[in-house]
Amino acid sequence: MAAPAATAGKPTASYAEMCEVVEDIKSDLRYEHELNGCLNCGICTATCPSAHFYDFSPREIVQLLWTENVEQIYDAMQEKIWACAQCMTCAARCPFKNSPGGLIAIMREVSIKHGMQSAKDVLRPFGRVMLKLITTGNQLSPDMIQPDHFPDWGPNIQKVQGDLKTLRMAIPVRTLQTTATAWEVSLKTSVEMYTIWEMTGVLKSLETMDENLYDVIEDFIDEKREEYEDQLAEQSDKP
Amino acid sequence: MSTTLQHPSDGSGIAGHGAFFQPTNLSPADAAKATAWVEKHVDRRTLGLGERMDDVREHMWQLEKEGEIIVHRVTDAHRPVDVKTLFGWNKKIPTLQLWHHKSCGQCGNIPGYPTALLWTMNKLGHVPGRDYLDETDQTSCTAWNYHGSGIGNLESLAAVFLRNFHQAYVSGKQHGHELGHFFPLVHCGTSYGNYKEVRKYLIEMPQLRERVKKILAKLGRLVDGKLVIPEEIVHYSEWVHVMRNRIASELQTIDVSHLRTTVHTACHYYKMVHEDAIYDDTVLGGNRTAVGTSIAQALGAQVIDYSTWYDCCGFGFRHIISEREFTRSFTMDRKIKVAREEANADVMLGIDTGCITTMDKNQWIGKAHGQNYSMPIMADIQFAALACGADPFKIVQLQWHASPCEEVVEKMGVSWLAAKQNFEAYLKEVEAGRIEYLYDPALAISK
Repeated sequence: MAAPAATAGKPTASYAEMCEVVEDIKSDLRYEHELNGCLNCGICTATCPSAHFYDFSPREIVQLLWTENVEQIYDAMQEKIWACAQCMTCAARCPFKNSPGGLIAIMREVSIKHGMQSAKDVLRPFGRVMLKLITTGNQLSPDMIQPDHFPDWGPNIQKVQGDLKTLRMAIPVRTLQTTATAWEVSLKTSVEMYTIWEMTGVLKSLETMDENLYDVIEDFIDEKREEYEDQLAEQSDKP
Repeated sequence: MSTTLQHPSDGSGIAGHGAFFQPTNLSPADAAKATAWVEKHVDRRTLGLGERMDDVREHMWQLEKEGEIIVHRVTDAHRPVDVKTLFGWNKKIPTLQLWHHKSCGQCGNIPGYPTALLWTMNKLGHVPGRDYLDETDQTSCTAWNYHGSGIGNLESLAAVFLRNFHQAYVSGKQHGHELGHFFPLVHCGTSYGNYKEVRKYLIEMPQLRERVKKILAKLGRLVDGKLVIPEEIVHYSEWVHVMRNRIASELQTIDVSHLRTTVHTACHYYKMVHEDAIYDDTVLGGNRTAVGTSIAQALGAQVIDYSTWYDCCGFGFRHIISEREFTRSFTMDRKIKVAREEANADVMLGIDTGCITTMDKNQWIGKAHGQNYSMPIMADIQFAALACGADPFKIVQLQWHASPCEEVVEKMGVSWLAAKQNFEAYLKEVEAGRIEYLYDPALAISK
């Protein structure tokens, strides 16, 4: 199988730009923890699920970083890093206590920070999930996991047919009787989460990746904040 | 030293080692002594960890002493049970006064997971609002998105961790309890692995603590100006592990000794911060993590091994959403097919969200490649609840599963059809507003 989300043609970047990318990876607080050396033993690749199916090797990623091979690191960030399944089997196995999966997580963050086209291409089909997560704090919701969205899950995707709302109301736990979120999240909780997104630069990353999605999310957040203010005002009016 | 030579030392070496290999010429007794020394030091349970591996909890006590953090303790009131982790370290698993930290994948897709857990707690006599709390004031850990997309960062993950665990710490107040009354019980394997990793970074990195402290201050989520960090991070399967004998002896009503089970343990349970996962000499010889397997054994089911036990399920975070051919292929080739052909299992038990979704939903599509393998997939606690007589639909919520769970229910001697008809009749009651609850719904509303 080819590496995922191939981009058309080779990305162009100057050597100085590539160096900046590598410096951003190396300056991450976790970098020193995740990379301690490499014997080239390949145990990470031997146990890697993605290495079964893609042109991908965690050993190669670690070697590129260990040897600070600027061009090759930049090249690997175009496709290869997105093959990783993030299972962290590599990290559990490495005799040097490296975390190839952790290093890849850093590389993905940096590719987003630099607005790489390859990251945009890979994440485009993930937009709906990001919208849900950023606005509700839930990764997915019952109304997203419907047979129409997953025809490959087969005709037996649910064993009792019926209205989704009724089926969810039949779950004997109040917090789960929802359709648009996995569980009911209080408004205060959501508003706190928006503050976290803002203060940690998550919304900025999102804007770099997808401006339209960012606009939708910004509007949503503004609306929810107003709703929360109204709720607080209503509470303070009560005797 | 014996003068008897084990091998000639004429430079000819030993086959397979090359001419440079020099024999030690130790006597058998000395060789045994040397080997024993090596074994003692290499065996992972007695590994001289030294500077290679720190127990992060020891540093937490120091930081607390220095006034930087408050450690949310596992106290006697939480009725903890001690277990051993990979390196033989002690871990305290609280069994009472638990704050359910839900999983977005479970609640959205496998709701029988949390309902089976709460049902089991009720059956063991836990009182909702006192012995456990399930409330609306929590977000997901957000790590599924992070691992899938790279949107998010260490700071955001740490702030979410601290916010949610602060809420767990103060949540008892609304219900008339002290601070720290409820201890967080994490349902999701990825949340569990991610939170442990983030805790480690928080303890090791003063810069990170400084950055997130500003955020937590703005949210009003500090206690006396300090961050709240839990003494232990506990996965629900660890609770099931320590309660397994009580579940089997007090609640089990159905004999499952004829059932062949296989276990898939979530990667993020035992491969992330692996030093904190539970290992037990009485379960799989202590060679693999104990959770999942131990409850199947306690219930008397057969646990059958298969060669790809260590493999991941193929979930991949982003892959299951937008690169599904990888997810399907891996789960069929490396899990379902192998567990079927080698173990001929009646059921595969998981302990996490993504694994169960992946293995449950991706069987039918295998037919496209002539892979006609199928197997019921469910969580350990769903299986346990069934063995304890829980309703397959109302409580275990198997209607949301795509894999042939009806087969294992029938093998337990429970009529799937009768249970289904009963549930369909119950849906009419639900439509009329007559809903049965595991706890008073008002308890869920955070104020």
